[in-house]
Amino acid sequence: MNLDDRYLEKMNYSRSKNEDYITQLKKETGKPVIGYLCCFAPPEIISAAGAIPYRITGRPGGDTSAADACVEPYGCTYVRNIFTRALEGELDFLDGLVISHSCDMVQRLYGIWTYYRPFEYSYLFNVPHQLTPWAKDFFRRELGFFRESLESFTGQKVCPEKLAEEIKLYNANRALIREIYAMRRNNPPGIKGSKMLDLLMAGGTLPAGQYNTLLQNTLTELKEQPEEKKQGARIMIWGSIIDHPALFKMIEETGGNVVCDDTCIGFRVWEKDIPLDKELYEGLTEHYFVNFQCPRTDRGPGTERFDYILQRAREYKVDGVIGYCISFCDPHKFDYPDLRDYLKKEGIPVLLIEDNYSFEPAEAIKTRIQAFLETL
Amino acid sequence: MSQSEMSRGKRHLKTTGKMKEMLPRFFMRMMERKFSNEPVAWCMVGVPPELLKAFDLLFEWPENFGTMCASRQVAPHFIQAAENDGYSPELCTYVTNTMGYCRLVKDTGEIPEESPLPGGMGTPAMLLGSGFICEPRWKWFQSIATRFFDVPVYSSDPLAPPWDVNPNDPRIAEHYLTLLREDLAGQIEFLEKHTGKKLDTDHLKEILARSHQALAYWRDTLALRKAIPSPMGSTDYFHAIIPQMYLVGDEEAVEFYREMYEEVKDRVDRGIGIVDEEKYRLIWFGLPPWFNMGVFNYLESLGAVFAYESTYNVGDYFEVDLADPLEAIVQRNWQRMLKMHEYGAETMPELCNPAVFGGFTGSSLLNELVEQYSLTGAMMHLTRSCRAVSFGEVHTKNRLAKLGIPSLIFESDMADPRLWSDAQIKTRLQAFLETMDKARQGGKINES
Repeated sequence: MNLDDRYLEKMNYSRSKNEDYITQLKKETGKPVIGYLCCFAPPEIISAAGAIPYRITGRPGGDTSAADACVEPYGCTYVRNIFTRALEGELDFLDGLVISHSCDMVQRLYGIWTYYRPFEYSYLFNVPHQLTPWAKDFFRRELGFFRESLESFTGQKVCPEKLAEEIKLYNANRALIREIYAMRRNNPPGIKGSKMLDLLMAGGTLPAGQYNTLLQNTLTELKEQPEEKKQGARIMIWGSIIDHPALFKMIEETGGNVVCDDTCIGFRVWEKDIPLDKELYEGLTEHYFVNFQCPRTDRGPGTERFDYILQRAREYKVDGVIGYCISFCDPHKFDYPDLRDYLKKEGIPVLLIEDNYSFEPAEAIKTRIQAFLETL
Repeated sequence: MSQSEMSRGKRHLKTTGKMKEMLPRFFMRMMERKFSNEPVAWCMVGVPPELLKAFDLLFEWPENFGTMCASRQVAPHFIQAAENDGYSPELCTYVTNTMGYCRLVKDTGEIPEESPLPGGMGTPAMLLGSGFICEPRWKWFQSIATRFFDVPVYSSDPLAPPWDVNPNDPRIAEHYLTLLREDLAGQIEFLEKHTGKKLDTDHLKEILARSHQALAYWRDTLALRKAIPSPMGSTDYFHAIIPQMYLVGDEEAVEFYREMYEEVKDRVDRGIGIVDEEKYRLIWFGLPPWFNMGVFNYLESLGAVFAYESTYNVGDYFEVDLADPLEAIVQRNWQRMLKMHEYGAETMPELCNPAVFGGFTGSSLLNELVEQYSLTGAMMHLTRSCRAVSFGEVHTKNRLAKLGIPSLIFESDMADPRLWSDAQIKTRLQAFLETMDKARQGGKINES
């Protein structure tokens, strides 16, 4: 039985299995694995350069003491948690590291991380904050420098044909995810939110081709037998990165259904295809910079920047929004009062959960969720 | 915490003492213009002040307003108003101080009487931000214009190459310089549109010339602090940055920095220090606790002086050709960034500092400073609400330890005195100095 058959048939999406799979894949193909954080540096280019992209995630509740020896305790617990994983050797299967200049904490961690744990290959993908024409030009040039750095590491040229092929594979992922998300507009939503998150997590771990198999298998199963059969308050999750289903499970256990999201490992990167009808790097700029809805990018004043959230809430017939903010997550914490008031005006209540990426104390969080669901 | 624990800093120099007369005069001039309904731009450090001056624009610095509110002990009033509005206590207290001010202005229609200046910051006609140094800056003016005042915003977007990229590679240099040039052009276009004036580049050239003259005096003054005993203190240092913010390009600012240079030079020549017995020569990292600048005097009473501060440091001054003043602004940022790269700037990529007015982090710079300024220890103020400036302190501490220099990291905030615990902090500061004594006597240092 080949590797894909062994893993994808019975893939249950857990991270340890995915990491095991990547390690095996690396052994069998001889390709380097490049870990990345955030969504600005396209994994399509990493793949086209002959490497395996791997989205690095955390270990909720894990202690951060190893990181505390190198970085301040006042800072995003999520990235300190990830850095701890690296310092403790959990990410030793990576050959390279790519960090985007997304938020302050992660971009600054890049220097510290590569100082204390250097990789054979590392790249800080620099991203402007404005959406001015010159900022777009910069992003596009940065894509070129990123490609060159990968080429010199892997020794493989990224030709347009190969890149287009990778984009097509990833776009196929996107189409399947959109199809699954469309099921969530139903009531009951067809798939549990916690299960959906697990499925999306696998997307950051598996090569796009294998991920297509997993998505296709899941879609077929769901069409035959929808997993979530009970109706409940329809919840949208907004806020900081969530890479663990604990919060979703609390909502499910208190009778709610998570039907859509606006978080980093969520619909954001899958919602739209990368356009192939224009020059490839222009398409990548449009997708990963202009359209990618991370609050770190300046979309100017006014509440129009939240319109897409309202639109999604309406499409998925959301009853309420649960915001999730990890400690010291400035981009989301700054947006919260404006977004809360904007949604309130539209009749959509918001509950904010602030957490240090431990999802604890679980009972207290659950009680707040329960009380919120009762008001809907 | 009672307010009696807080004390204002006592300055050592006559020149910085004179600011008490000079700044009110200046603020009066500003106020007269403000009260005649002249539009006010709220600006962030990072916006070239010379440009504002060239447009003869009336401007305010909400960050500086935060420091004034802190030193007058009124910041909690504004910060609380912002927290009541939904802003997290974790957010930058310069920002929440402004947000609270805006909330109160918006709710009452009046300038809050707690404001340190009559007329406070007024209300803005435009917002000129800069993404230099930290992310809250992007969200800050965006939220003000969303929530409180519907005015135009321009946030400049300087980026610098990360520490492991070679900025001397011409292609990399062009990649970044193109962005810096276009960003500056965007800023000027915005100013021309909203002031209705054309930029007079000859006027800008004159302002830049005077500004650079003042900066050169300031740089030379700071270099005089290599002398033992230390001729000036941190209270002088942190207050002396203000003229460069408000009076930039004025002859008055050149005079101020020239006088300060001469006074400090004279003290060095005559061997006059700020304490009787200089037992500890330290470097300060982070923002100061503006609400309790007296803590520097407390440390001086124990024989501890700071010969260098990492924050707001003008650093090396760069001679740039002013023939093309816009290119000069770009080049001074770029040249500074190149210098920082040479030092190894692993913890802060935003070193392209448009204000020539920022912090530093760089491993080899530490070696240089320890040697040149005869440093024996470091104190690092870990500000809970300003991760931008605090970030890298643990790393810097590790680097200093390799040089045999002990460091103390202590936690509080730059504007919110609610995070200051006077007895506890002073005990820690004192204990640290005692461990330095023990280390000097041959013991080991084990301080965190």
